[in-house]
Amino acid sequence: MKKILLLLVFTSITWAENPHDHMHNSHEGHLHEKLVDGKKYEVDPERFDRFIMDLKDSQIAVLNVKGMVCDFCARGIEKTFKKEANVKKIDVDLSKGKVLIAYNNTQKITFEDIKEKILINGQNAIDMQVINL
Amino acid sequence: MGIRIICLLSFISFGLDARPVSYTGGSTIMTFSDNLKNSFYYHYSPSYKYSVGIENIKDKYFSDDYSYMRFTYLLNRKNTKDSQRNLYFQSGISSKGFNEFFYGVHGDWETRRFFIGFGLKETEKKIQDYLEQYYQIGVAPYLGDYGDFHTWIILKAKENSLENKWSTYPVLKFFKGNIFMEFGYHKQTNWDVHLMYRF
Repeated sequence: MKKILLLLVFTSITWAENPHDHMHNSHEGHLHEKLVDGKKYEVDPERFDRFIMDLKDSQIAVLNVKGMVCDFCARGIEKTFKKEANVKKIDVDLSKGKVLIAYNNTQKITFEDIKEKILINGQNAIDMQVINL
Repeated sequence: MGIRIICLLSFISFGLDARPVSYTGGSTIMTFSDNLKNSFYYHYSPSYKYSVGIENIKDKYFSDDYSYMRFTYLLNRKNTKDSQRNLYFQSGISSKGFNEFFYGVHGDWETRRFFIGFGLKETEKKIQDYLEQYYQIGVAPYLGDYGDFHTWIILKAKENSLENKWSTYPVLKFFKGNIFMEFGYHKQTNWDVHLMYRF
């Protein structure tokens, strides 16, 4: 038993994967229409429309997130962003691995900041696009 | 000795990629009951990589009550778009003294549809040391959206060296929001019940 445990611990050291290795650059600045209808981000148009229905003067960060396979696990993401005063709304789409975050228009959004906040919940944000409403 | 080495190795591996045990700053309370024990466990995650907590145990097999100071560390997590894999190290030191403790590993791999998990746990006590192990495989009968009521149907097999026999039985897992419930039943080992609330 002890040998098995030791082997597993050692194995994990080499097995471990740095999530930062898989981060890609931000894709801020793409067109709203391209994002909503575009295949690259696969945003559900109906879900997106529902999300922005009551929003004005906002910008939406659309994130692709790895590892968001479980509702229970994704709770921390919602909790983290809801604490922020400049976040108006958040939506988690488990089926597509997307997170939508609505910010005030005045808020400067950076992928690095959001990526870090998602990482502390154990998931990996791999890219982001910002839509201005 | 073994626990000290493993603890040391775990601390050494703190630079590794890992995911939260809970999310950073998150707390979890849980209660668990099976044929060996009833327990109440609270843990806090100062970082997304590990948790510390205290577990109060009513030991049914040895007719004893004690607590464990627990430490759980996520050795490894692999996130993909459709799956997640985790390997945890767990340990605890008993209120009965430093020569009573446990250590082990448990791991899982899951997609939104399928789940596989295992656990190995060695408990060292003055009276008798013993090993517990379990393996489980499950499927979600439907795929709920975020915030929905989620259900898993699991087949679990477990064994401990005290009784030295395997039990294989169905387990149902449910969760909604911050609440998680698990129920399993076997005619020999009776009920496994696991309730959890995260905040």
